[in-house]
Amino acid sequence: MSAVVEIQNVTKKIKGKTIIDQISFDVHRGEVFGFLGPNGAGKTTTIRMIVGLMGITDGDIKIAGNSIKTDFEKAVKHIGAIVENPEMYKFLSGYDNLVHFARMSSGVDKKKIAEVVELVGLTDRIKDKVKTYSLGMRQRLGLAQCLLHDPDILILDEPTNGLDPAGIREIRDHIRMLARERNMAVIVSSHLLAEMEMMCDRIGIIQQGKLVDVQLVHDFVNGVEKVFEFEISSGERAMEILKPTYPHISFEMTSSGLAATVQKEDVPLVVKSLVNEDILIYGIHEITKSLEDRFLEVTTEREGVLRV
Amino acid sequence: MFKLIQNELLKIFKRPGTFVMIGLLILITTVAGAFIKFQSSGGTVPDNTEWKQGLQMENADLKKQMDELEGQVPAAELTYYKEQIAVNEYRIEHNLTPNVDYSVWEFVTDLLPIIEFAGMFTIIIAAGIVASEFNWGTIKLLLIRPISRGKILVSKYATILIFALVLLAVTFAYSSLLGLVLFGAPDTSNPYLNYHQGTVKEQSMFVHLVITYGLQSISMIMLATMAFMISAVFRNSSLAIGISLFLMFTGSQITMLVAMKFDWAKYILFANTDLTQYFEGEPLVEGMTLTFSIIMLVVYFAIFQFLAHFVFKKRDVAA
Repeated sequence: MSAVVEIQNVTKKIKGKTIIDQISFDVHRGEVFGFLGPNGAGKTTTIRMIVGLMGITDGDIKIAGNSIKTDFEKAVKHIGAIVENPEMYKFLSGYDNLVHFARMSSGVDKKKIAEVVELVGLTDRIKDKVKTYSLGMRQRLGLAQCLLHDPDILILDEPTNGLDPAGIREIRDHIRMLARERNMAVIVSSHLLAEMEMMCDRIGIIQQGKLVDVQLVHDFVNGVEKVFEFEISSGERAMEILKPTYPHISFEMTSSGLAATVQKEDVPLVVKSLVNEDILIYGIHEITKSLEDRFLEVTTEREGVLRV
Repeated sequence: MFKLIQNELLKIFKRPGTFVMIGLLILITTVAGAFIKFQSSGGTVPDNTEWKQGLQMENADLKKQMDELEGQVPAAELTYYKEQIAVNEYRIEHNLTPNVDYSVWEFVTDLLPIIEFAGMFTIIIAAGIVASEFNWGTIKLLLIRPISRGKILVSKYATILIFALVLLAVTFAYSSLLGLVLFGAPDTSNPYLNYHQGTVKEQSMFVHLVITYGLQSISMIMLATMAFMISAVFRNSSLAIGISLFLMFTGSQITMLVAMKFDWAKYILFANTDLTQYFEGEPLVEGMTLTFSIIMLVVYFAIFQFLAHFVFKKRDVAA
C-alpha cells in the first residue's frame, strides 16, 4: 500500500498561537482513516490545510506526491471534499450546482453527472432547487459534488452531522463501498465515536493540536489486556481470595460479581481458584471496550501528562 | 476561463434580484418616457422663426451675468456661461435652429443619467460577487478545485465587466427603441454642438451618444472595481456597497470642493473618472490632460486589482 496523503510535520500558527503542532501521518489507498478529537482540537484546521484552504506555517502536505503548497492545482485535483457543512448554491437546482462544479474540473461530462446522481440516489429531486432539500439530501448532494471528478482521496468533515440514523447508515455504506470498490483513500473526521468505530480502519486521535495516537481501530479498541467480568455468587469473598493470589491482576467489584483485567491465558487459573473456594460461577464474559471508553481513556491520560 | 465566467453568469442570472435590477432600469426609462411625452409641450418645440434674435438676447443676458459674477466665483463656475454663449453664437453663424423636434436622440440624451442606475446595479453585483461566496459558505467548495485562486478572481472580475456591458446595452437599446416609438426618428440629422476649450464643433448625434456612454461607463467601471476590491479584501458586501455608492453620489462633489482650494485634488480618483471633461467643457483642475487622467485611472485600477488579488490569495478560508 502506498501513501496517497502524506502529512509531514505540519504546524499551523495563527497570530503566534500554535493551533496544530508537528502533526505527521500517512493515509493509504483503500482505507478509511478516522480523524478523532474533541471540539476545537484542530480536526477541521488540519483538513483545511490538506485541501489548501489554509496556509501551512511549517512542514508540508503531499497529495499523490504533489505538495499542496507549491503544486496546488496538481495536488488538489486528486481530492474530493466536503469541509464542514455541504453548503451549495441554494438558489440553483441540485443539477445546476453539479454542472457548476463539473465545469471546474476537466473531463466531467453529463453522463458522469447522471451516474453520480444515481449513485447518491438523488435522481428524482435533482432538478429541484437546493433550498427545498432536507439536510440528508444536501449531504448526499455534497457527496455527489466530491465524486464528480473521480478523486483518489475523499475528505469528509463530519459527514454524518445532523443526519438521522438511516441517513448515517447510508453515508457509512457509501464510504465503505468507495474505499473497498474504488480503492479510494477516505479521511473522515468526527467526534461521534461509535460512528468511527463502524466506519474506519485506522484512527488518529488529535488533541490540543497534537496527534496523540494513530492505531488500527481493532487494536485501538481492544488493547492487549482484556477485561473479563465474572458473574459469581459472592464478590467480597472472591476478592479476599484472589487479591493475594494474583497480585499482578487488578480486580474490581461490579454489581453482579467482579471484573478482572487479565490476559486470556490467565482466565482458567482465576476460574480454578474460584471453584476451589466453592464460589459459584454463573458466567464469564469479555467486556469489549467501546471506542468511546478508549478515547476518553487516551485523552484523559494525555491531559494528565500535560498537566504534569 | 470561459467555463468559469459561464459559472459566474449562471450564478448571477439564476437569481431573481438580477431581473429586478433590469426590470427597474426598463421601468425608470418607461416612466421618464411617459413624463416627457405627456408634458404640456408634448416634447415638441413651437416653430419660432425669430430664433436668431432670441439667441442674441440670451447671449447678451448671459454676458451681463458673467461680468457680474467675474471675480466673485472661481473661474470654473463661469465655464457654463462661456459654453452657452459659444454654442449660441455658433448656431447664429451657421444657421442652425435650436428649435428642433424632439426625437429619439434628444430622448436618449435626456435619459443619460439613467446610466447612474446601471452603475449602481453593477456596483451591487461587484460588491457581492466575492463576499457572497463567503456568506454562503460556498467559497470552500469553490477553492478546492484544480484552479488557482487568481484565475477565479479574474473570472469574477471579467463577469462584472460583462454584466456592466449587458446593463449598458439594455439601457441604450431600450431607450433608443422607446424614443423611436414615442418621438420618432429625426427628420433632419441634427448635429450635436460640442464646446471644447473655446471652440465649437459639429458632431453626429449617434456618435456623440456612443462616446458619452463609453466615457460615462469609465466611472462606473472604476467604482465597480473598487467595490470588487473591498468585497475581496473585507468579505463584506454591505461595506462594499455602502462605500462605493456613497462615493458614487458624493465623490465628484467632494472632489470639486477640494479642487477649489487645493491643487492635489487632481490626484483624487473622481477628478479623473469623468473623461468627458477633455472632449467637452474644461478640465476640473487647470493643467490636467487626458494622458494624466488615463495614467491616474490605470494606477488606481492597478492598486485595486493588486489589493484584491494579494489579500484573496493569501487568505486562510475559515468561513
